Amino acid sequence: MATSGEDFTARLMDDMDPVLLDFIKNKVNSFIKWDLVRFFYENPHTADTAENIARYAGRNVSAVEPELEELVESGIMEKRMLDDVAVYSLSSDEEMRALVDKFILACEDRHFRVKAVYHIIRGMR
Amino acid sequence: MAKLERVKTGIPGLDEMLGGGFLPETANLVEGAPGTGKTTLGMQFIYNGIVKYNEPGIILTFEEFPQQYYADAAGFGWDFKDLERKGLLKIIMTSPEVSRRDIESVGGIIENYVTEMGARRIVVDSMTQFGRLTRDPVELRALEYNFINALKREGLTSVLTRESPVLLGEAPQDDSLGFVVDSYIILRYVEIESAIRKALLVLKMRGSDHAKDIRQFEITGKGFVVQSKFEGQEGILSGSPRRMADSFVKAFVNP
Repeated sequence: MATSGEDFTARLMDDMDPVLLDFIKNKVNSFIKWDLVRFFYENPHTADTAENIARYAGRNVSAVEPELEELVESGIMEKRMLDDVAVYSLSSDEEMRALVDKFILACEDRHFRVKAVYHIIRGMR
Repeated sequence: MAKLERVKTGIPGLDEMLGGGFLPETANLVEGAPGTGKTTLGMQFIYNGIVKYNEPGIILTFEEFPQQYYADAAGFGWDFKDLERKGLLKIIMTSPEVSRRDIESVGGIIENYVTEMGARRIVVDSMTQFGRLTRDPVELRALEYNFINALKREGLTSVLTRESPVLLGEAPQDDSLGFVVDSYIILRYVEIESAIRKALLVLKMRGSDHAKDIRQFEITGKGFVVQSKFEGQEGILSGSPRRMADSFVKAFVNP
């Protein structure tokens, strides 16, 4: 049976570590989340409000806050309340930190980045 | 009289000016214009604490990204990433509003790190950012006072940096913090014979004697080095000192 071009591309793009594929499809599934994960990888002990994290990332808080919330839901980030202020930080779970490290290190490979971008764009459709 | 225990900075020349080092569990302000070396002094205090005196440390930054500290420290041959991996250092990026609430709460991030690491030293870079919490000077002083007391409660000896708004000369400051801290070190640019040099003065040290003279210092490839005092000059802190009359120098300075 002939394979369509789209199927072939999909299979090619799925050709990566299944753990990372799941990480991209279900956890870091937007470019803002990717930026945030990279920021917290480079500055791993950051703990701050959504407003300040948005400032560090050079983005608008209205765009960043929902993404932070989703990263909390997926276990990459932690959220704690200090009085009435929500403070976000990278998960202290060793396995999750190792997964973040693995993702960022994999991003050093251009082919991996192309595949990750493909999946994020497909997920945004 | 029993000799007081000291928290050594390990910075050549500075401990001698401080009578042996900072007093334990004190808050120590380092104020200077941009580029004078406040952060370098703070990083060296932390680095030496870890590698020379077995005292883990924390850097609390309100402005610079931690990755900037890793890079700056590497320039002096200090591997901050390795120290973090070994659990001897944490560089925490946050804001005054969060850190103030955090350290006042039970089981906060800073308290947990202090317990986990056995941290004894902290650098807060910079206290200038506290100014964005309130415009009311009375409230600001109360906030700073509470924050400093919380650091002491955790058993930490702190170096607190503060920016001076002017490059040369004496800076006008609404100086609530200067009253609250235990020691106060000033870093200044000084223009002498068409060249910029750097001066350091220990303005105040509560509960201890300290050097009263104004000394030159440099940031070398190995970090902060305090040198000899300025000879034959007066008005150093004005930024534009005058040469003392030769007869005065001969009679009183270098007889």
